[in-house]
Amino acid sequence: MEGEFYDSVRRSSFLFVTIVLILIVPNPSTSLRFDLPSGNTKCISEDVKNNALSVGKYSVINPDVTEDHGVIDHTLKTPLPDSHKITVRVTSPYGNNIHYADRVEFGTFSFTSKEDGDYMTCFWAHDHKPAVTLTVDFDWKSGIAAKDWSNVAKKDQLDNMETELKKMEDTIRSIHDEMFYLREREEQMQELNKSTNSRMAWLSFLSLGICLSVAGLQIWHLKTFFEKKKLI
Amino acid sequence: MDSPTICAIVLVVLARTFVKHASCLAVTVNDVECVYEYVEYDGDVVSGNFVVIDHEIFWGSDHPGINFEVTSPQGRIVHSIKGTSGDKFEFKVPSSGLYKFCFNNPAKTPETVSFYIHIGHLAGEHELTKDEHLNPINVKISKLRETLESVISEQNYLKARDKRHRHTNESTRKRVILYSLLEYLVLAGVSGLQVAYIRQLFSKSVAYNKF
Repeated sequence: MEGEFYDSVRRSSFLFVTIVLILIVPNPSTSLRFDLPSGNTKCISEDVKNNALSVGKYSVINPDVTEDHGVIDHTLKTPLPDSHKITVRVTSPYGNNIHYADRVEFGTFSFTSKEDGDYMTCFWAHDHKPAVTLTVDFDWKSGIAAKDWSNVAKKDQLDNMETELKKMEDTIRSIHDEMFYLREREEQMQELNKSTNSRMAWLSFLSLGICLSVAGLQIWHLKTFFEKKKLI
Repeated sequence: MDSPTICAIVLVVLARTFVKHASCLAVTVNDVECVYEYVEYDGDVVSGNFVVIDHEIFWGSDHPGINFEVTSPQGRIVHSIKGTSGDKFEFKVPSSGLYKFCFNNPAKTPETVSFYIHIGHLAGEHELTKDEHLNPINVKISKLRETLESVISEQNYLKARDKRHRHTNESTRKRVILYSLLEYLVLAGVSGLQVAYIRQLFSKSVAYNKF
């Protein structure tokens, strides 16, 4: 399921380096903070199920502003220089472009997945001499974690406790679904193993058969050869 | 009751290794990958797991494994696991702040690590304001939530392990066919060589009539 990786090292004056971060869990949210040196690309991909809502938010951390955890007020801080801007692209598992932003400091995206698979978000920090290291804060929620609970609470007029309990009900339901998924996967694996087992048995018999037949061919060939040569 | 969670796969590779598959670029010059996570209250319990899931070159018994380290904002190493292919961890943070979770790959092969980190916070331990009494139900709800998160964490661990298991099985299946075919070819080739050699032997010695 998850993407596979290949290394591409360019022998130029810059070394383009990429790191792929892949998220496996479909439902819980992703709140990541990572370092992105200039000229590098880091990709995060997440396994999103079909027809699930995904909401993502990314921003470059301004080292001059000490922000309270999770809350970055973009209106207050001074704009970062061009070297601190990133380019972001979100792609679907089949390569379709979902979101693209060039040279920005922060942004958001949201989409409803039309296919099941790995959705990848790539961050690219442009080259700059001297090389700076940007810190990117990335928040990606999909599935039930993307549900807007404040709206639900307002609509149904639930108080805090009820919202929490409803959230837990959703969580439990998703745990239940995950269990079914795991069960299915385990069954598939068992089938796979059984078939590999029987395949190995067949191949062993085939190997025995080939061995005997090759030996028989050898004997027959040599016999006719010697008879032709009038040695037997 | 904001409990941030991370789940990510971190590819920890070294340069100069070529893995020829499509879709993503994946090399890093240094063999350490770090992720930062902010812990809001001290005394929180950070739990999680990590599994190495994608290795093209399967680990022999002498593979050193992946090292995992958690560094506190003061620079002290809070938790460290060395040389495994996947493990669960849980520890209580001594102080709040930005914690660094690092994976280190000492070997030269690219590794993909899938990990899940959950920072659990029980309501009622810190943020009692002066003018409200903490509803015991809220405390219980928070405890329930933490238990659910631990179930989710376990599920993620199982999922990642299942993924790795499947990868191994599929590779075994492919290799069984490959090795069998190779074996047949070698067998046929060797017996052909035998026959040719014997023919050649006898075509000469007949003339000399020796045996």
